[in-house]
Amino acid sequence: MSERMYPGMSPDERTTFSPYSAFDIPADLRQLHGRYDVASVARRVRNFRYAEEWMMMIMGGWVATIPEVPVKTGLGKVIWEGAQAADEFGKRLPELRCGRKAVEASEASNEGFAGFVQAVAGPETPDLTIEKLVGVFDVLKPHLVEIYETTMRETDQISDAPTIEILETAVRKTRRHIAWGQEVLDRLCDTEALRERRRARADELSEQLSASGGVTGTLASDRGQLN
Amino acid sequence: MKRFIEPNELARDSRFIRQDNAMATVLASMPDDVDAIVAAFEQFSPMIEESVRGTAAQELFEAYGPAFTLVVLNEPLDPDSAAATMRLILRMHGIFVGELQALEGAARSLWDFPDAPWEFKMNMARQCWDEGRHVQIFEKLLEHLGGHVGMFPESTFLFEAACSDDPAMRVAGVNRGLEGLACDVFRDMIRYAEKTGDEVMQQAVDYVLADEITHVRFGSEWVKEFTKGDPEHLQKTQDFRREVDKQFSFGGSRSDREDAAIPIAWEDRKEAGFSEEELQDLASVSAEGPSKETLTQAAQILRERFHAKRNGEGARS
Ligand SMILES: [Fe+2]
Ligand SMILES: [Fe+2]
Repeated sequence: MSERMYPGMSPDERTTFSPYSAFDIPADLRQLHGRYDVASVARRVRNFRYAEEWMMMIMGGWVATIPEVPVKTGLGKVIWEGAQAADEFGKRLPELRCGRKAVEASEASNEGFAGFVQAVAGPETPDLTIEKLVGVFDVLKPHLVEIYETTMRETDQISDAPTIEILETAVRKTRRHIAWGQEVLDRLCDTEALRERRRARADELSEQLSASGGVTGTLASDRGQLN
Repeated sequence: MKRFIEPNELARDSRFIRQDNAMATVLASMPDDVDAIVAAFEQFSPMIEESVRGTAAQELFEAYGPAFTLVVLNEPLDPDSAAATMRLILRMHGIFVGELQALEGAARSLWDFPDAPWEFKMNMARQCWDEGRHVQIFEKLLEHLGGHVGMFPESTFLFEAACSDDPAMRVAGVNRGLEGLACDVFRDMIRYAEKTGDEVMQQAVDYVLADEITHVRFGSEWVKEFTKGDPEHLQKTQDFRREVDKQFSFGGSRSDREDAAIPIAWEDRKEAGFSEEELQDLASVSAEGPSKETLTQAAQILRERFHAKRNGEGARS
């Protein structure tokens, strides 16, 4: 029998190509099925968009009332990258059966989280740079990294890969933001009294965040799942 | 956090001092009359002196008297002219604080207009990053020229144009009025850097100009969008932009006149979405100030009187 390039219709008319492909090397160990269905991933993405959108708006409000010039300019970049993250989340929503207009759909998981975001936005005057930055860089962004990573790990690795891709970028950039913010806060808090101010603000907000259930409102069950 | 802040609420570190905005208003509304200009400057002289005390501008005040701003604004920047470097640094410092206020204005638009369309927020967020980089660039250029942050007082009259609570008016005033002016100034700075062979400044400002054209374009597009189907609203934003344009022409110093210190960057502005008609309009609005000859005469008189007075005081004591 001559070597066939294309299969024919009978069992002895097969090609001679071995059934291996580049896709199997290395073997695809991902398994189907994740913790979230389409509707719950869509809800999470709307929640994430809410957090990113509000965070960049709040930082936008602060730029003018923060006296430290390198903090103003540094926030410029964090704002833009937050807007990009919110934009990517928004573009994912129509792909998750939320309708074409869903690209601007941000949604708080619950009133508790919305209240937490307003508490982050609270400090206004120029003497409160520490209180401002702690809310975003010590509390909210680290929380988002935790939940983004949980989501990446627990969603369907193949079916929901587009969400994972967006989260991967968001996590990489958010980690950079946190590193920058903490460096700034370390420099600003150069006395024990200032370090105490930082801790007190972080404790107060972390408590409020936990009570709300976090960005997705499911913090307790998310953490239970991990243990 | 409240929506909308006043220019005096802009937060600054201890290097900065503020300048009274009244002077800018005087400059914007000067008639083509030597005596009137002399009288206006003499009236403001104590205030001007107070505002420059302890800053690098004190040196310019001592040399030219209260009208030193007239000399600085009215004469084109020429590498061979007297005190050229100090004047260049003064302009660079003005641009630095302008960028700072542009950053603050774009950022405030994110907070002040929470219900604006998402694409608007994206544009403003991008502008935050750009203006943040511009602040960094001009801080470095300032040092490159031998200057430093805080050596001159800061006027907040740029931010004043950013205080409208109507997003259409704000982008008309800031993105089309002020950023349009930035295009004119940066084109002029690039020309200056080419003349002096300063490649660092030439390349950096060239990149900034590219960004500013994008920001003007944001303005051109959002004014259209925000006023869609409302010709009265559009007219109001155009009037506001003209007012800003007039104010920032400093009595014709920035204009299309042959003797302008800062010529209008016609081509750059076209790329940014200004129509031929709007540019003709800008040329006529900005040319309305006193003639260069009037300003030169007034500056001369003010300088002589200032020195005579100083000498008199010296003789008495
Ligand atoms: Fe700029
Ligand atoms: Fe700009």
